[in-house]
Amino acid sequence: MAMVALVGLGWFLAPGPARAPFPADLGSVEVVAQLTEVPAGAVFHRELYHYATILRYEVVTCARGNLKPGEVIYVAHYDPWKPRAEAGDARAGQIGGTVRAFVAGDRHHLALASPLDDHYMGGLVDKYFGQHAGVTYWALRTDAE
Amino acid sequence: MAPPLSFVGWLGCACAAVAAASAEPEALATEVRPLGWIAFSARSPKGDWEIYAMRPDGSDKRNLSNSPDTEDFYPLFSRDGLQLLYRSMPRGQTVSGNDYGRQGRLMLARANGAEAHAVGGDGEFTWATWSPDGRQILTLQPKGFAIVDLVSKQVVRSFPRAGFYQQPTWSPDGAALVGVSNGFNTGWSIARMELATLRANAVSVADCCTPDWSANGERIVFSRRRPHAGENGGYGWTELWQAGADGQGAALVYAEDGRHLYGSHVSPDGRYVLFTGNLREDGDPANQGAPMGLLRWADAPAIAEHPRLRQVYPQAKAARVLALPAGHEPCWTSSQAPGLPR
Repeated sequence: MAMVALVGLGWFLAPGPARAPFPADLGSVEVVAQLTEVPAGAVFHRELYHYATILRYEVVTCARGNLKPGEVIYVAHYDPWKPRAEAGDARAGQIGGTVRAFVAGDRHHLALASPLDDHYMGGLVDKYFGQHAGVTYWALRTDAE
Repeated sequence: MAPPLSFVGWLGCACAAVAAASAEPEALATEVRPLGWIAFSARSPKGDWEIYAMRPDGSDKRNLSNSPDTEDFYPLFSRDGLQLLYRSMPRGQTVSGNDYGRQGRLMLARANGAEAHAVGGDGEFTWATWSPDGRQILTLQPKGFAIVDLVSKQVVRSFPRAGFYQQPTWSPDGAALVGVSNGFNTGWSIARMELATLRANAVSVADCCTPDWSANGERIVFSRRRPHAGENGGYGWTELWQAGADGQGAALVYAEDGRHLYGSHVSPDGRYVLFTGNLREDGDPANQGAPMGLLRWADAPAIAEHPRLRQVYPQAKAARVLALPAGHEPCWTSSQAPGLPR
């Protein structure tokens, strides 16, 4: 009985699967940012047609790039109904991260690239159409913070 | 007891209507038979995808690519009908309903399939479309559009793609392109870009794809998703529509209930619209393709009779459609060259 308890305690205390270190050279921008909202219709399950959706973030900290805390950025996420670790494919290339679903208010550790056209050719859902100009980032990695 | 005269009259009318309906495809077939050739990709008896040509009534089908070791798809006749572009990849790979224009490598051949050779390697010259004179191709890659001289293989002009991402087609006069864009508030808009100014305008901002130009370049034919309440697994059905190149005057060409209409292509004389009628959402290139069909553009707007569709389009005519064999992405030329011996 004691042995079983010890084994159980060992399992409980054992470290989980090693979390992959966040790459220091992925994309041109690395930030921690808060997802301000997930607009209605921005994320939906669609098997046959891949798409990316643009989500709005507020920067918390910036490790690489020239973004400032509080700055609003717009980020395109590929097939946003999938967990990030399962979203990459031949069309989108290197997509990953630990985020499983997009929830308003969550903080994400993001590796970003731009311009969007250089990285993605495909359907785009933009619930902020006409409300933002300038850079739209392409999310290469999205970790839960 | 003799039936009432009114019943006899009704029966006569009904029989005449049935006779007219069955005679109509025959008349349409006779009308289009001499009007050149249609190229399309389809599975061969060996199971691979080949490029075929047939008369516009579906007769005289012949294999143009004759390459059982490769999957050959997405044929495009040059506007003079003397040359043929298509894409080719090793046998066993699956033709994608959305990405076929950037799969495999680009092939160039005479219109009858002779002298086929690769233009570049895998993934190069993606979404290639002919210039009006057949000397250049316009291609679309993530970095932008590029116009390539076919003899020298040199890029003679490049410019940003501004949200265009698939199925570009160069206009008959060479002044513009039309394609699918994500730059107009929907992910799958039809848009047009003037090549002199690089200004783009939306043609249709519903879920749209597979656009083609009218013969005079004034109108665009394309597939457009009918507004729906989630039927057909949440995808609804896709219809053939037309609009001016400036997006004005959008109108139905042809709709069915129970099949998606994709692959719209206008005949060289501008009188007919060619399409595929897909039971599956993705155009079904991974399997057999879908039955093709054509109708007279002058018969638009038309529907395949169905109570639900009649409610949506009460003024539409009853469609007169010529059913054609199964295929994918058909293309029509008025030239006789595809039928010449290799």
